[in-house]
Amino acid sequence: MLFFSYFKDLVGREVTVELKNDLAIRGTLHSVDQYLNIKLENTRVVDQDKYPHMLSVRNCFIRGSVVRYVQLPPEEVDIELLHDATRREAR
Amino acid sequence: MAVGLRHFTARAGNGSGEPILDTDNGEELVHVQPSVSVAVGDRAPESPGTLYITTRQVIWLSELDREKGYAVYFLSLSLHAVSRDPEAYPSPCIYTQIETEADEVEDESEDSDSECSEVLDLSKIREIRFIPSDANQLDTLFQVFCECAELNPEPIEEGEEEGHNWIFSADQLEDEAGAGDDVEWHFSQNPTNTIGHSNGHHDLASSVLELQINDQRFEDAEEMEQDSDTGHHHQSQQTKYLGSGMDRCTSSRYWIGF
Repeated sequence: MLFFSYFKDLVGREVTVELKNDLAIRGTLHSVDQYLNIKLENTRVVDQDKYPHMLSVRNCFIRGSVVRYVQLPPEEVDIELLHDATRREAR
Repeated sequence: MAVGLRHFTARAGNGSGEPILDTDNGEELVHVQPSVSVAVGDRAPESPGTLYITTRQVIWLSELDREKGYAVYFLSLSLHAVSRDPEAYPSPCIYTQIETEADEVEDESEDSDSECSEVLDLSKIREIRFIPSDANQLDTLFQVFCECAELNPEPIEEGEEEGHNWIFSADQLEDEAGAGDDVEWHFSQNPTNTIGHSNGHHDLASSVLELQINDQRFEDAEEMEQDSDTGHHHQSQQTKYLGSGMDRCTSSRYWIGF
């Protein structure tokens, strides 16, 4: 449940979600659930030429299983905190 | 469970025209939205029909053509969204992306489907839009899609649990030749902290707990090569270490795997 908790703390931040089909969507993290399904607000597609159909949808629900990466703003990432948390989770 | 968009024609014969669901396996109807058009891929919207959202899938049944219907399981829906931008699509709609079997392949075949072609390969369709005649229903529909999608997480197979490769220390990263361009995780090597270090037993990549047993079997130096029937082998010389110097002990320990 570590990343569920971690993403919960990032709600309200700007993230970019890259899907396994290469689509990258930027938006404000609205919510996340235990399966790491992600809801974004004020979304916009990163590479608009590739995926013109998704221009500025307002709300978006992304299935957790299709997420490849979640790109976070560097200033939001506390490496030490994550380090400790993952170590604890691994025990 | 079929991946991708499918034809759906199973309707109740009692005149309600409702789709026949897999009620034996717990599928339930959650929401019905009449007067909804559907636009499959790049094709034009199809004549109004009714949208049925169940606990497992989304079904659209045509009002005019009793033989026409489409369905897709939530397991195949990669994402869904409210689309209100007229530049993206002229009508406000629920936009969804479908995960197809051939998703790795850059398949442009959906663009080549012309209006006159009735034989449409649904399994290659990547996008589908549901256009309610009442745009005020969009938020409700979006919510229902969310709730039902949450009911359909990836099924967990037994084998997947063993596939977890947890990296505990930088040692493992070095040993795995050509391991990962993804070097986001850097663990500082802290030799005084042995917790999490696997001591070279990389096959024990799953969570293990090292148990130091102050057991009488370890105490007496004369008691060697006993208790081999348990399957554990232990040498009595290596006794009584309590957490330090573990790197010297490559045998004589109890592993408990979770």
